[in-house]
This record gives sequence, structure tokens and C-alpha cells, in this order.
Amino acid sequence: MNKKQNKNKRLIRLAVQIFFLALIVLISFNHFRSEQGLEPLLIGSPSLHAVCPFGGVVTLYSYFTEGTFIQKISQSSFTLMWLILGLTLLFGPVFCGWICPFGTVQEFLGKIGRKIFKKRYNHFIPIKLDTLLRYIRYIILILVVVKTATSAKLLFSNFDPYFALFNIWSDEVTRLSLFILAVVLIASLFIERPWCKYFCPLGALLGIFNFFRIVKLKRNEKTCINCKACDRICPMNINISTSKTVSNHQCISCMLCTDEITCPVNNTLNFSFLEKQNSQEKIKKGTKVHISGGEK
Amino acid sequence: MKIRSLHILLAIIVIVGGGILLATEFGFYKTIKEKTPGKITEGVYVISDIRGSHTLEEIERYYQLPASSVIEAFGLKVDTNPDTFKLKDLKEIFKPAEIEGEEYMIETDTVRVFTSLYSKNPYISDETFYLPESTVNYLVENNKLDEKEKEYWLGHTFKAEYLEGDNLVGSETSILSENTVKEVVEETEEFEITGATTIQELLDQGITEEKFEEISGLKVPEDKTRTAKDFFDEKEVEFKDIKDKFREILGI
Repeated sequence: MNKKQNKNKRLIRLAVQIFFLALIVLISFNHFRSEQGLEPLLIGSPSLHAVCPFGGVVTLYSYFTEGTFIQKISQSSFTLMWLILGLTLLFGPVFCGWICPFGTVQEFLGKIGRKIFKKRYNHFIPIKLDTLLRYIRYIILILVVVKTATSAKLLFSNFDPYFALFNIWSDEVTRLSLFILAVVLIASLFIERPWCKYFCPLGALLGIFNFFRIVKLKRNEKTCINCKACDRICPMNINISTSKTVSNHQCISCMLCTDEITCPVNNTLNFSFLEKQNSQEKIKKGTKVHISGGEK
Repeated sequence: MKIRSLHILLAIIVIVGGGILLATEFGFYKTIKEKTPGKITEGVYVISDIRGSHTLEEIERYYQLPASSVIEAFGLKVDTNPDTFKLKDLKEIFKPAEIEGEEYMIETDTVRVFTSLYSKNPYISDETFYLPESTVNYLVENNKLDEKEKEYWLGHTFKAEYLEGDNLVGSETSILSENTVKEVVEETEEFEITGATTIQELLDQGITEEKFEEISGLKVPEDKTRTAKDFFDEKEVEFKDIKDKFREILGI
């Protein structure tokens, strides 16, 4: 695989990210227009709550105990939640790595940070502290779900930076959420996807699926040349090069580490399922092609 | 099987895109906000979260206040559809009342206060200090007020007036407040149902089309200038029996 092909593979995810980012911006813009009494453009004008699957998560308790959705949550977010959970069960948190527009914004800002700080980028926080901080999102998830269940109010929107960013024109946005948004955007220049890593409650829930997802990220120890390119490219700082099957709760299924994009040895690191052990012959052949190609 | 970026793209299109299309087709993808109020405790919802866009059915669902009670207490038409009637629609039905130089509307906050009194769910209004007479009477008749509340609200009522005659309650005299019944009786003292009474005259006296249909089992004819007797004779319904039921309703 040459560099051009490699770049094309990256473009698929980039195109999906841009599509969903543009979609959310358009929905937000349309919602604004409709509140001004203007006709929406191209698509409808639902609120951002209606197209966020996390709304479905926080209304679960209310739905199963009383058959109702909590404040501001509509059926669409409940349906979206099930679709995203299905997608996650199969492929892991694809939503985080491919769809979530807030993740995309952080990732784009991260590109600036990477240019500024080079190798230091995404490595500012000491590993021990970083490991601990990554459990905060589970605490937030539990708090948000419990508090929402007892109040039936969409409390999370009061400090949700995603809602603040795409609804910045609205008086529904609280000062606290604007402050959190500013902090996250600035932090994105130093750390890749800080909100996703440390605070996102939806990311926490979807991350759990990494333990039992059907399509797993597998590393072939026999062919791995231990170049650690996968570790370096991983936006979530996962130590991929030491695992046989990567089931880290922070994986976002971005596919950047795979031999389709970064790993220099074919059939060494990829997402797969129902796959028997690759034949030695196939492995050797793939290895030869890549290594002799000298692209990495 | 090896999974590539293209597979993920296809999975997103099929699962998310296809799922949304399918859900839309089967009515499981509605982006309209569900106007769910907040909770105080399990099953007890915040009265201040009642909004003008709430339907009577939603009020019943969240506040255990039967739609029929609102219809009766506020003197709405008995055929009011609880699924579609929104609280903000009240403004279109009742005239504003002038009390002590201030204009009072029967609107969402009136229902909030009524719901609070009916369900003993706390709510302090900073705009509703008077309630329609029929509403207070309904609460008293149904023992929903304690002595203090009774004392206050019986002294803070106003007579609800309809914007259009079409919205007149009157389908059941029981739904009118005591005073209103007296008024209807006074107004109808001169009225008598005879063989010359037209259907329109019956309707004008307060027999609603729904009550007409309920009693006679017949739909109100388009030509309401016909005499009731002729109409029932034609339909082979005993006019005398019907007449007595109408008289009973009108208190004649």
C-alpha cells in the first residue's frame, strides 16, 4: 500500500466526520432560523437534544419506569441511542471516532496543537495522573444518569460543552457550559480529545463496549516489528503495541493504528471478526510486500 | 474477516442511516420535543412545568388530573379532545375578566393553580389570585379544598365569559356552577318546549349538539330551523320523551 492509498483511507473517516459536523451545524442553524420564524434550509429544524443519542441514555430510567421521556428529550434521541449501541456492539465506539461532531472539533484543534508542540503534543499529563483522570467520565455518567432519573430534567445540558458549542446563540446555554467549552477547546491544543478522554459520559458508556464488542482490534505478535507506530498515532494514548487483543475502554475505533493506515506490516494490526489464525504464508507475504515497500 | 474503513462507512450508512429511515417509517423517530415536566419525587411532577403547549391528555398523564375534570371545571365543551386541546387554547375560548382594574385571563397558569389545588401538589402563583367561579365550585363539590383554601377561593372568583357562543358549555347542567345554573334557569323561565320549538332554539337554550345526540341518538340536522317535533316524528322517535329529557336538562 503506498502513501497515496494510505491517505485515501484516512479521507473516508475525515469525510464522515465532516459530514456529521456539517449536519449538526445545519440543524443548529435551522433551529435558530425556526425560532426567528424563518423556514429551515434543506432539512428540518429539530433541537440538538433531539439528535443526540445521550438523551436516550439519560431518559432510560424514566422510560422504563413511567413510559415517558424526560424534559426536552424526544423519541428520536431514544431511537438514536439504540442504533448507536448496536453499532458500538459490533464495531466499538465508532460514534466517538467517526460521528460525534464535538470529538471532531477537538480533533481538528488537536491538529494545530500537534503542529505547535510536535512530539510533546498529547503527552503533557503524567501517565499515572492521566490513567486516574480517565475514570472521571464514569463518575459523571453515573451522576448524570442518577440525577436525571430523580429529577426528570435534562441537567447535563447545563454543563454540556457540545450543546454550548452548537447552540451558542441560544439563551438556553449556561455560563458554566460556556466556561467548560472554552476550557475544553483550549485544552484540545495540548491534549487530543480532552473531553472524550476525561469527561464525556456517553464516551464512558460506549467505551464499556470495548470489552465485549464483536469486531475486535487484534495485533499479530508474530509479525509485529514493535515499531510502536500504533502507540504514537493513537489519539487516546492507548498502549497498543503490548496487547494481543486491544480492549481498552478508551478505544474510539478510529482505525488510525491499523495496518490499513499506520501499521507498516500487513495483517498485523486490524479490526477483525470470525477470523481464524492467518496462515503463516499469508503473513509472510504481506510482511514482505510492506517492508520491502519501505513506506514506513 | 478484516474490517476496513469502508466497512465502517457502510455500517454507519446501514445501521444509523437505514435505522433512522426505518424508524421514521414505523413512527419511532419523532424529533418533536416531548414536553415532560420535571419531577419532585417519584410520580409527582412539578406544577410550574405545566406549559401552554401541554394537552389535557398530558396533564392527566403527569398530574393525575383527569381531562374530564378540567373540561367540567372550566366549562369546556364535552366533546373537547384531550389529545389535541392545549392549555393555551383556553385563551381563545374565554374573554378576559376585569377585576379590580386588572385583566384576568383563563390560561395556563389558571390550570396550574387548579391542578395544584386538585392534586395537593404545591405551587405558588404570582399571577393567579382569582379563579373562574365554576372551577372553584368544582373543587368545593369534590372536596378538594381545605377550610382555609375554601375561604380564600370562594371569595376570589370571577364569572367566566365565552368569546363565542359556540363555545358555550351547557352540555350538562351539572358542569355549570351553582350560580350559573341559577342564571340559566332564570333565563329559561320563559322558555317552553312546544311543538313549534325549533332545533336552533333548543341549541340556543344550552342543549349542546353532543347532548342532543346523546339523548335522541340522532345527529343534529343541518337544517336547524326545523321544528324539533317534525324532526323526531320523521325519525319515528317519540317527541314527548325527548322533550321531557330536554326540559330536565334546562331545568324547566
